[in-house]
Amino acid sequence: MSKEEKFIQLIKENEGIIYKITRIYTNNESDLKDLYQEVVYQLWKGYDGFRGEAKVSTWMYRISLNTALFHTKQSKKNGHRVGLDKIVLIQENYDPVLEERLAIMYQHIKALNDLEKGIILLFLEGKKHEEIAEITGITATNVGTRIGRIKQKLKETIKS
Amino acid sequence: MQLEEMKNLWDEMSLKIDSQQKLTNKLIMEMIQQKFSHRFKTLSLYETLGAVICFLAGTFILLNLDKMDTWYLMLCGILSLIILIILPILSLRAIYGLKKLNLSKNSYKETLIEFSKRKNNMMLIQQISVGISIVLMWLVAPVFSKIVNGKDFFMQEHSTGLLLFYAATTIGMIFFARWGYGCYKRITASAENDLKELEV
Repeated sequence: MSKEEKFIQLIKENEGIIYKITRIYTNNESDLKDLYQEVVYQLWKGYDGFRGEAKVSTWMYRISLNTALFHTKQSKKNGHRVGLDKIVLIQENYDPVLEERLAIMYQHIKALNDLEKGIILLFLEGKKHEEIAEITGITATNVGTRIGRIKQKLKETIKS
Repeated sequence: MQLEEMKNLWDEMSLKIDSQQKLTNKLIMEMIQQKFSHRFKTLSLYETLGAVICFLAGTFILLNLDKMDTWYLMLCGILSLIILIILPILSLRAIYGLKKLNLSKNSYKETLIEFSKRKNNMMLIQQISVGISIVLMWLVAPVFSKIVNGKDFFMQEHSTGLLLFYAATTIGMIFFARWGYGCYKRITASAENDLKELEV
């Protein structure tokens, strides 16, 4: 299997992950598509350097989160957009009730700071504290503390 | 919404997303190629254009430096030349530093820290640039006056209109610099907060 074929397979197997990350870091469909494309590009750029020291998922989450963080902060300055209308993302079987609940959930997540956003995303993805620590660069104990703090923040949001 | 409720909802969404895979092989490769071809357009067009203009002006002054026949005109010429060469280099270096963050090797925390530090550095340079631009405006005027008209700016009589124009431009630039400084303080304060949050 060629490098391209392996990469394509990897992206296809994990396209949902990229979608979920990009949705957290963007506020509209156009930005989402642009960020999605940027993440795929950065993964491709980093693909040669990936030698399997970490799990594929850890590597993917790290690049995707870093790209989302960097791209979002940068695009505020550059305002650069690359239209790619052909990226059609997850619109089948539209469920308005689910979408509304998801919108509320995303609203809560977007209200968190950058580090918390990354941690909560990995937590919701079912990652263990150790893997979250490896991706984010903070200690596993600190991950636990921060998740506790996020819980508290969410409770306070509901009260207010 | 509680975290546990979020988790259930997230799992439900993940299931739905996983059952709707959309990307084709062709589309994935197109994404990479399109992004690659747009790469050069994202290379800070305005800053690059500004740097080219500065370098051209600097070259023009350098080629005509022998026309500066008094010590003060020579001083204005040399200072203008230094500013026109050094400032864009510093600015482009700061932007380049921001762009070459290693997104595949750094952890999320390292990216946040690096980004905040480099952003602060870039903002500082931009702020200094605005301040120096005001000085540059006054340095360049006598130099160009000498090169283009062959006249000593400091010895000739200036019309009231021209003096008013200079005064208004300087005041305008000072206000612009103050406004820029406000933006700079806000952005760096936000970056500092991000850094403090990471230390907790």
